[in-house]
Amino acid sequence: MKNILSLKNISYKYEKKLALNNISLDIKEGSFFVLLGLNAAGKSTLFSLITRLLNMQEGEIKINDYSLKAYKKALCSIGTVFQEPTLDLDLSVRQNLYFYGCLKGLSFKETLKSIKEEIDKLDLHSSLDIVVRKLNGGHRRKVEILRALINQPKLLLLDEATVGLDVEARFEILKYIRNLVKEKNISVLWISHLFDEVEPSDALAIIHKGEILEKDQLKNLLKKYNKKELKELFAYVTREEK
Amino acid sequence: MKILFYCAWGIIYKELLRFVKQKSRFLSALVRPLLWLFIFSSGFKMALGLAIIPPYETYITYETYIVPGLIGMILLFNGMQSSLTMLFDREMGSMKILLSSHISRNYLLFCKMFATAIVSCIQSMAFLFIAYCYGIEMEIWAYVLVLPVILFTSIILNALALFISSVIKQLENFAAVMNFVIFPMFFLSSALYPLWKMKDSSVFLYSLSSYNPFTHIVEFIRFTLYLKFDSSLLFIIVFLFVSSLSLAFMGYKSKKTGSK
Repeated sequence: MKNILSLKNISYKYEKKLALNNISLDIKEGSFFVLLGLNAAGKSTLFSLITRLLNMQEGEIKINDYSLKAYKKALCSIGTVFQEPTLDLDLSVRQNLYFYGCLKGLSFKETLKSIKEEIDKLDLHSSLDIVVRKLNGGHRRKVEILRALINQPKLLLLDEATVGLDVEARFEILKYIRNLVKEKNISVLWISHLFDEVEPSDALAIIHKGEILEKDQLKNLLKKYNKKELKELFAYVTREEK
Repeated sequence: MKILFYCAWGIIYKELLRFVKQKSRFLSALVRPLLWLFIFSSGFKMALGLAIIPPYETYITYETYIVPGLIGMILLFNGMQSSLTMLFDREMGSMKILLSSHISRNYLLFCKMFATAIVSCIQSMAFLFIAYCYGIEMEIWAYVLVLPVILFTSIILNALALFISSVIKQLENFAAVMNFVIFPMFFLSSALYPLWKMKDSSVFLYSLSSYNPFTHIVEFIRFTLYLKFDSSLLFIIVFLFVSSLSLAFMGYKSKKTGSK
């Protein structure tokens, strides 16, 4: 199966502090890939490099076979949901979607057409003309996910997309994203620190202090280390030898 | 081409929406120069005698003299307000949407400056209309020609503001910009008094004012409003346009927008 995202020997330093150390990862087309790590593990730095918010220092990133150096081709096939809220609070949902659609080169009509089905699935039809400021956290997140789908991305990048939401909202969003993988063959890079969001069949990479410590399907890793659950596995893999 | 067009339209659309929704922003942008026109000039005109200087061919009232400077004031403050919004967007994270786009970052920044310039144009024309009702009349062609000049010069100020916003690390530091950039830029210019008046009191301040880009912007607007053309001014303005855009683009090249 083709790699939709390929990271090769990525290292990144903030001044003298090494944030990422020789990271290599491949994400297959149509897979749900979880990058799991604690705070300050380097997840968001990696996310920022993939989305070109930070400039590459070492290594190479390829999205859909295009090097990020040719970012115009590489970035047009991704959809992103950032950790921080990125909607304009004073505009309505519809206006936010129109603005993003324009950034992707779509007219207002084309924008709504491209996500018509998803608006219904996310039950956002009645919220389209509501100012974002009046929406709750769960709805805002849904709008951001909806927005990320406007350009029919092949790869969806989500950085801690469920952070700050209640359990019900978290799993509703997670279920929706997993369905996207199944139904539309969209590849997903799900960045999280929450163990309960990972399923045994998910491809998983454990990142700790800027290094990838393990990568495989969760069920294979559990078997390899003879552990029953992810929490236990994570603690074992990230333990520090004294 | 279609992508670039819709992208520019999207940014202008958002800027206009913000402008329409923030009525207080429009009002304050208009009230500020009107206060200077109606109140400050009333008190100041008796103290300041104006000789006949280009582009004027006859004696003019002080109110007439400061109109181009007050248009400059609208552009300057609007540019700074816009970059403040960008700074806010950067801190809140919403700027990531722009900076992670597959479209050239420089093009997006230019569209942002252009969108702000359109808003500045609307505010300036509203101000000129009120000034007209107050009795400061220009020729009809002056109103037509000053529009692209306002658009062009506004982009220069927006670019400078954008560069400043790229240098500032925290939103709180923006107050310092008011004191160290905006006010000196405004007062060390020909917006409120001709430079020869300043030369009488301080040659040093006169020299500073002559190198102030804002002085040239105000003079370019002034000349256009009186349907005069000065090629050296145009040259300076084009130079300012290129250099300010370069600064803004450099400021946001590989801009770190993360919270780290």
